[in-house]
Amino acid sequence: MGGSATAVAAAACGVPEKELLVQAPLEMPEDLVTGLDNWYATIDRQNRNGIGIVVRVMEGRAKKIEGNVDYPVNVGKHNAIADAGVQSLYHPDRISAPLVRTGERGEGNWEEISWTDAVSRIASRLEGVSGEELVLVTSPIGGHMGSVVNSFTDAFGSTHLQYEPLERTVLQASIKNVFGQDVMPDFDIENAAYVLSFGADFLNGWVSPVRFGRGYGDFRHAEGRERGTFTHIESRLSMTAANADDWIYVKPGYEGVLALSMAKVIIDEGLGDDAAVASLTQNGTNDLSQFDPSNVSAVSGVPAQRIREIAHEFATKRPAVAIGGGSAAAHTNGLFNLNAVHSLNYLVGNVNKKGGVIFNPMPPIGLPVGSRSSSFQQMSTLSDRMANREVKALFVREADPFYGMPSSSEVRKASFGVDLIVSFSGQFDDTTAMADIVLPEHNYLEDWGTDVPDPGPGYQVVGFQQPVVRPFFENRGGHLGTKNFGDVLITLGEILSNPLSLPGDDVKTFKDVVEQGARSLYGLNRGSVKSDDFRSFWQGVLQRGGWWDTGARYDGPSPTPPALPVSPQEPISGSGEFALVPFESAGLSDGRTSDLPWLQALPDPISTAVWHTWVEINNKKAEEMDIREGDVVEVTSPRGSIKALAYPHPGISPDAVAVPIGGGHLGGGRYSKERGSNVFSILEPLTDDKTGALAWGATRVSLRKTGDWVRLSKFENTKPDISEDTHRKIIPLTNG
Amino acid sequence: MADAKWGMVIDVDKCTGCQACVVACQSENNVPINTEDIFNQRRAIEWIRVERYWEGEFPDVKARFIPVLCQHCDDAPCEPVCPVFATYHNNEGMNVQIYNRCIGTRFCANNCPYHVRYFNFWEPEWPDTLTHQLNPDVTVRSRGIMEKCTFCVQRIRRTSREADRDGREIEDGARELSPACVNSCPTSALVWGDFNNKNSKVSNLAEKEMSHNGSHHGRGYKMMENLGTSPNVIYLKKIDKHAKETVAHE
Repeated sequence: MGGSATAVAAAACGVPEKELLVQAPLEMPEDLVTGLDNWYATIDRQNRNGIGIVVRVMEGRAKKIEGNVDYPVNVGKHNAIADAGVQSLYHPDRISAPLVRTGERGEGNWEEISWTDAVSRIASRLEGVSGEELVLVTSPIGGHMGSVVNSFTDAFGSTHLQYEPLERTVLQASIKNVFGQDVMPDFDIENAAYVLSFGADFLNGWVSPVRFGRGYGDFRHAEGRERGTFTHIESRLSMTAANADDWIYVKPGYEGVLALSMAKVIIDEGLGDDAAVASLTQNGTNDLSQFDPSNVSAVSGVPAQRIREIAHEFATKRPAVAIGGGSAAAHTNGLFNLNAVHSLNYLVGNVNKKGGVIFNPMPPIGLPVGSRSSSFQQMSTLSDRMANREVKALFVREADPFYGMPSSSEVRKASFGVDLIVSFSGQFDDTTAMADIVLPEHNYLEDWGTDVPDPGPGYQVVGFQQPVVRPFFENRGGHLGTKNFGDVLITLGEILSNPLSLPGDDVKTFKDVVEQGARSLYGLNRGSVKSDDFRSFWQGVLQRGGWWDTGARYDGPSPTPPALPVSPQEPISGSGEFALVPFESAGLSDGRTSDLPWLQALPDPISTAVWHTWVEINNKKAEEMDIREGDVVEVTSPRGSIKALAYPHPGISPDAVAVPIGGGHLGGGRYSKERGSNVFSILEPLTDDKTGALAWGATRVSLRKTGDWVRLSKFENTKPDISEDTHRKIIPLTNG
Repeated sequence: MADAKWGMVIDVDKCTGCQACVVACQSENNVPINTEDIFNQRRAIEWIRVERYWEGEFPDVKARFIPVLCQHCDDAPCEPVCPVFATYHNNEGMNVQIYNRCIGTRFCANNCPYHVRYFNFWEPEWPDTLTHQLNPDVTVRSRGIMEKCTFCVQRIRRTSREADRDGREIEDGARELSPACVNSCPTSALVWGDFNNKNSKVSNLAEKEMSHNGSHHGRGYKMMENLGTSPNVIYLKKIDKHAKETVAHE
C-alpha cells in the first residue's frame, strides 16, 4: 500500500499529521482491493418486514444499500429506512463490547468485560432460576433465529414474548377469522382495479410498504391496464391518504360499521356474489338493517351518499380489494373493524384471486414466520409478574418495551423487581439503559440469518442474510466486540448443561444452523436455485439473496365466508376534547430507527417537519384556540402529558390531533436521546377485547398552550417561495 | 457515452411522497447531515427534494407531492453567470458542477429558478465512524462550495469505463448506470435514461406524453418551461378525477 512512504512524505512537507492518517495494511480487511466495489445480497432488518437488499462494499466498508432486483418481495425497490441501514452499522454510539452495570440500575455506569466473563456471570446468576422465572422478550423473530430461540425456550422451559409497539395481533386474528389463514395473505394492489383501504397506511409504514408501494406504482400506470382507483378511509390524512383519489374522514373506531354499511348496500342492490352473500348473511338470517347508510352516517361522520357511492364503485370496478389495518385496528373494537373490512373481499369474489387477496403457503422446512407479535395484554402480565418478583431473569433482544409500553403499565418500575436484565442491543435504547449486563449483538450487515417474509409474494420465499462486511468491532479482539445472538444462546445452553437441540451433530454455531437450513432447502430439490452439489447451491442462494419457489403456492381449501359480524361494538375511549391519533412518520417507524441522523432529518411527508415531535391540529381549530406553528403545546391524557410543537394544517379533523411516533427516547445514542416526546407514554392501557392488543388509537387528550415557542424545524419554506401563486404551474392536474 | 443526452421523466401521478429518493441521494453522494440547526437556518441540502402542496380545507383537502431536482436545463440560467466556469454544460446534456473551480459567488443559485443548487455554508462534519460510509467515488464538498444533483455522474463514469473495458453494451435502464434516486423509487415514478437513444424508456415516454406540433395528447410538461430553460426533466401530470378542468401548462 505504501502507507509508510506516504506518511514520511507528508511529514516532510509539513502537512499536519491528522490529515493523512494512513491505516496500516495489517489492519485492513482481507477483501480489500482498492477502487473495486462488490455488491452483496442480504436481508434488510431495519423495516419490520424484511426486504431483499444489495450492499455496495468497497475496501471492506459498506457504502450504499439498494433493493435486490431478484428478491420477490420488493424486486429491486427499497425505502428510506432500508437505505439508512449503513448508518446503524457505523453509528458512533454503538456498543463495542459486553458491559456490566457498576452503579445503581438505570444510572448509566458501565464497565467493559470480556465475553467469557459476561457469559459466565449470566450463567452463574441463572443457577437455580426455573424456566418460568426466565423470560425472553424479542422483536417478532422468524427464520432460523426463530428456530434457535424456540430451542432455547424449549431447553429452559422459559417464556418467549415477541414485542413490537404497533403489534400485528389484531390483523393476524382478523386474517385467521375471515380467511382461515395462519400467515398473512398478500394484497395484490398491482393487479387490482379498485383499492379500498381502512386505516392501513400501506405506502408509508404498514406491514410491507415497499412491496405495496411497488404494486401501487403499477396500479396507477402500467402497460396494458387502466389506471386504478383508490379510496382511503382514515381519521387522519396520512401519506397513503394523500395519495388516494378520495380520502374519506371517519370518526376513529367506526371503520367497522362503515364497512358493514357498504356491505349492506352491495347486498341490497344485488351487486355481491350470490354464494358469498348467502354465507355472509347466513342465508339472509343476519339482519343488516341497523347498518343502513343513513344510520351509519350519523355515527361515522361519512355522508350516506358517499357510503353508497363507494360501495358501488367497490362492487363494480373489479378486481377490487379491501384492506384494513393500522388505526382501524387500534381501538377496543379493532378486531370487529378488521373482520368487517376484510369480509368485503368475499362480496366481490376476489379471495385468493389475482387483483385481490392472495393467500400465502406456509413456509418451507418448518421455519417460523417473523411477525408473530405478542399482545399488549401479555406484555402487561409480564410487567405485573416483574413487579411481583416472579421474574428472576429477563433477556431482551431487538425490542424496546421500556420505550413502547404506555407509562401506565409501569414497566420501568416493575423492572426493579427483576434480579437480572440482559440486553443484546448494540445501542443504548431505553430498555438497555435499565439492564445489568449488555451483550451487544452484531449489526445485521455483519451477521448471518434467514427471513421468511410475512406477507410473502404468494409463494414460498426464504431470504438469506449474510455478513457483507466483517464485524466493525472485530479489531477489539475476540474477548470484546460483538457476537451473534444465536451463538450466545447456544453457548449459554452448553454452560448451563441445557444444550439446545440443533439440527445435526456437527452444527455448533448459528452459521451452521443457517447452512443446515440451506441443506434442507437443497434437499427439497425445487425452487429458484438448481444445482448438482450443495456448495454451488449455497453460493447461488447467497448470491441471489434467498431461495424461492414460484410453484409452491397455497393449495389449501377455499375458505367459506364467515358470517358478517353484525353485533357492532362501540369503540371505548377515554375522555378529552380531541381524539389522539399517533402515527408513524416516514423515517422513525415505530421508534426503532430514531437513532439514525438521515431518518431524523427526513422530512415527514405531510408536515415536512424534522428532528422534533410535533402535534398536528386542524388549522381552523388552531386559529380558534390561538395556536400557531411552533407553539409548545401540552398534550394531556388521563395518563400523563407530553410537550410537542404545534403544526396546524388542513388535513386533520377539528376534533382530532395527531402526534408522530418515535420521539422522546431516554437513550438510543446522540441523535435520539431526549429528543422530542414519546407519544406512547400517554396512551391509555385500553385493549381490543378479543385479542388483548393495545388500542393505541383510543386515547383522548386535551391541549394547553404553555406560552413557549420553539421554531419547528421543517423542510417546508426552506426554499424561496415558488409555491403558493405558481402552485398550479408546479403541479398541474388533468382529469384523465 | 459522449453521444448521450441524459434526462428524466417523473410521473407525478405515481409519486407517493415517501422520500426514498431523498435518502438514496444523500447516501450515494456524501451529502452532509442536515442537523436541526441547518434546517432552522434554511440551509438543508437535498439534491432531490419532495415538495408538498396543500389544496383546500378539511374535509375536502389534498396534499400533493412532487420531487424536484436539478432540471439539467439545455439553456441553464445558472451557467452563464458563473465567473469561473465551475458550472457548465457537458457533452452528455448534463449541467455539471466542478467543485474545485467553484469560488462560492452563489450567482448560480441566485439565478436558478428551481432552487436546486445548494451552498455549503459550513464545513460538512461527520462523526469518525460514519465517515466509513462515505462514497469514495464522490468528492466531499467543503465550506464555500456550491453543489447540486449530478445525475450520479460517478455511476455513469464507472459503468461506462467498465463496459468499455469488458467490451459490452450498457442496456437502457441498467441499474449500475441509473441515479440512486431512480433505483430506490418504490413506485418507479422516476425513469431515467438517454433521450438520444430513440428506444429508451425516457424517449418513448417523451414521444407518448409530450405535445408535438402543438397538439397536446399526453400528460407531459416541463416545469416552468415558459422561462425558456429547456429542462431535461419531463414531468407527467397528476391525475385527479375531481379536477374541474385540465389545467393547461404554459
